[in-house]
Amino acid sequence: MRLFLASIVSILLFIGIVPILAMLIKAFMPDDTIPSLFGSMQTWMLMRHSVILASLVTVSTFLLGIPLGIFLGKTDLPFRRFFIFLFLIPLLVPPYIIAVAWSDLFQMSGLPLHWLSGLPGSLFILVSVYLPLPMLLTMIFLHTVHPHLEEAGRLVATWPLTLWRVTLPLIRPALLLAALLVFLLALGEFSVPMYLRYNVYAVESFTQFSAFYNFEAATAAAIPLVLFAALLTVAENRYLRNRIAIPRHFAQKNEFLRITLGRNRWSVLTGMACLAAIFVAMPIGSLLLQAGGIDSYLRALHVAGDALLRSFFYAFVGASVLTFFGFFTGYLFLKKPFYAARTIDPLLLFLFTLPGTVIGIALITFWNTPSTNIVYATTLIVLFGYLAKYTALTARISLATLAMVPPSMEEAAQMTGAGWFQRMIHIVIPLTRHGILGAWVVASLFILRDISITILLYPPGHDTLPVRIFTLMANGSPQLIASLCIVMIAAVVVPAAVAWGWFHYWGTKR
Amino acid sequence: MKIVRFEQVTCRYDEQTILDTFSLDVEQGERLVILGPSGSGKTTLLRLLAGFVAPHRGTIYIEENAVSRDGRILVPPEQRQIGMVFQDLALWPHMNVEENIGFGLKIKGVGTTERNRRVDTILKLVGLPDFRKKRPSELSGGEQQRVALARALILEPKILLMDEPLSSLDESLSRHLAHEIVHLQEKFGFTLLYVTHRSEEARIVGTRQLEI
Repeated sequence: MRLFLASIVSILLFIGIVPILAMLIKAFMPDDTIPSLFGSMQTWMLMRHSVILASLVTVSTFLLGIPLGIFLGKTDLPFRRFFIFLFLIPLLVPPYIIAVAWSDLFQMSGLPLHWLSGLPGSLFILVSVYLPLPMLLTMIFLHTVHPHLEEAGRLVATWPLTLWRVTLPLIRPALLLAALLVFLLALGEFSVPMYLRYNVYAVESFTQFSAFYNFEAATAAAIPLVLFAALLTVAENRYLRNRIAIPRHFAQKNEFLRITLGRNRWSVLTGMACLAAIFVAMPIGSLLLQAGGIDSYLRALHVAGDALLRSFFYAFVGASVLTFFGFFTGYLFLKKPFYAARTIDPLLLFLFTLPGTVIGIALITFWNTPSTNIVYATTLIVLFGYLAKYTALTARISLATLAMVPPSMEEAAQMTGAGWFQRMIHIVIPLTRHGILGAWVVASLFILRDISITILLYPPGHDTLPVRIFTLMANGSPQLIASLCIVMIAAVVVPAAVAWGWFHYWGTKR
Repeated sequence: MKIVRFEQVTCRYDEQTILDTFSLDVEQGERLVILGPSGSGKTTLLRLLAGFVAPHRGTIYIEENAVSRDGRILVPPEQRQIGMVFQDLALWPHMNVEENIGFGLKIKGVGTTERNRRVDTILKLVGLPDFRKKRPSELSGGEQQRVALARALILEPKILLMDEPLSSLDESLSRHLAHEIVHLQEKFGFTLLYVTHRSEEARIVGTRQLEI
């Protein structure tokens, strides 16, 4: 077991961490790139923009996401599941698609486009994209609070006061984790600020690489983002890690206290519908209007059908590999069979929070040599990018699922003479199969929407749909771009809706 | 003949010492009942003997062979030929009764025909001959307890560990099952280490009682 798990972890570290280290070493080689980078006023201006944008996005998603999470996760509001899925859509699609949608809406309604560009537009789009993160984490972690603690509060206080003084303080570490994730993801996002012409730091390393082919400058520009991610991951590991409960109580619906909204439920429902209209229905509706009739979609499929198929292929293969690695890494987090296992989780979180462009640059730095062309010139390097970036997701989902299996299940098999592999195949994997499937679905959706890694790493002629749309945006007709965006949304939302329905069916059946 | 020996065993969880220089000898065929308040180390004792945890200090012997010593597990649980009935019974929910009971035989490579025969025999012994295809969730508490017992006994262990197996049942049923356990122990002749906090259960099951 130890050897197998150590091999899994070694492969992950080799794929993810070693290229980052190689990039750092290369960047700090005697050269004037780094001093000139940090000596430039432009660098500090971009950094200031990045921090301002990321901070505003974090605060806004926090202020909106927590109440949303409470209303959708803890009350008897009608159509909760529908709203949850609706709010998830902007997170499931490449972020720039929401920017394109709003831009179309402004154009069609005759509003001046400069209202949408710059900081306000980037802030609004990124809030709608990352709003589901605090919302989802609030919903999930509300289920970890023991009902007796809330009942004790309810004996002396109203629900709002109980939530404020008992429930939310108990899940504060998880909420801070959500804030941290939003901050780092917003800091590393390049496609939306690039489209809306707000100069931030993440755009710098991308343009240095893709527009100017200045690899040294791109590498140097990636360093501050690495340092930011490292600093905040260390903070998370030091202050939050041991305070966040694994959501074990999630399945125990009978023990969960639900708030009755009473006569307020219709006003809350109206508010929820307004938010859903602003964040989801209006942008998607504008794309549908811009795209026009069926001919546009046929043309879109003609232009990018191959990229769509390739997206599905990458998602299928990538999600399968990610699920395999994530499952055993999650098992490692749970059992901690050796001391070094404790360091793996923060390292994977660090990679997840690192901008995809930085991971892409690191992988190119490491694998772009004549002897490693088998990786660099093939889709293997894209797969490595996904593994480095997204294993944290599948590992955390696997950990949450594995934690719900009582240790005695595996121990009972051990007592009947089953070795570790036999216990995995006959007991642990069958008992966690729904969680494994969930991890696979999440991984495939993240790969389907990915642009930051794929755009830097795809071998010639092997681009995906998000990359194809992004490159066509510069000179494609608005109608074609809108129809491609709708195809992209459908490619992610339809499988997500099927998975959503299936998990609901399985949950109620259980 | 001594089948189990704890020699100066110390066991700690985090900073708390659960067992401190603890020694114990168990004779073959004995039914030892371990009593004690919560947190006294009753379950830890069974988990040490099963091999799920290693003692920080001291040695544990099974049939004169050291199986754990000074922080190291020398013989892993699956090789100790010990059966165990867990407090939560740990019946695998994705397997039916037959698969739960026959799992150990399957792992050992016993063929289907022989496996079915032995599952039939043990199911009759525990009074559940018609329950082969039922899932654990379809069984009552008492029936689940019998399946867990059958699963532990089918491999004919030399030692059977039972960690408060009847604690979730009402008193009259647990009294009845306690008598059945004694009957099965006399039939199979295994050594029984039985953890409970109920004095009446201890009186029925035990040939010796140990308070820790």
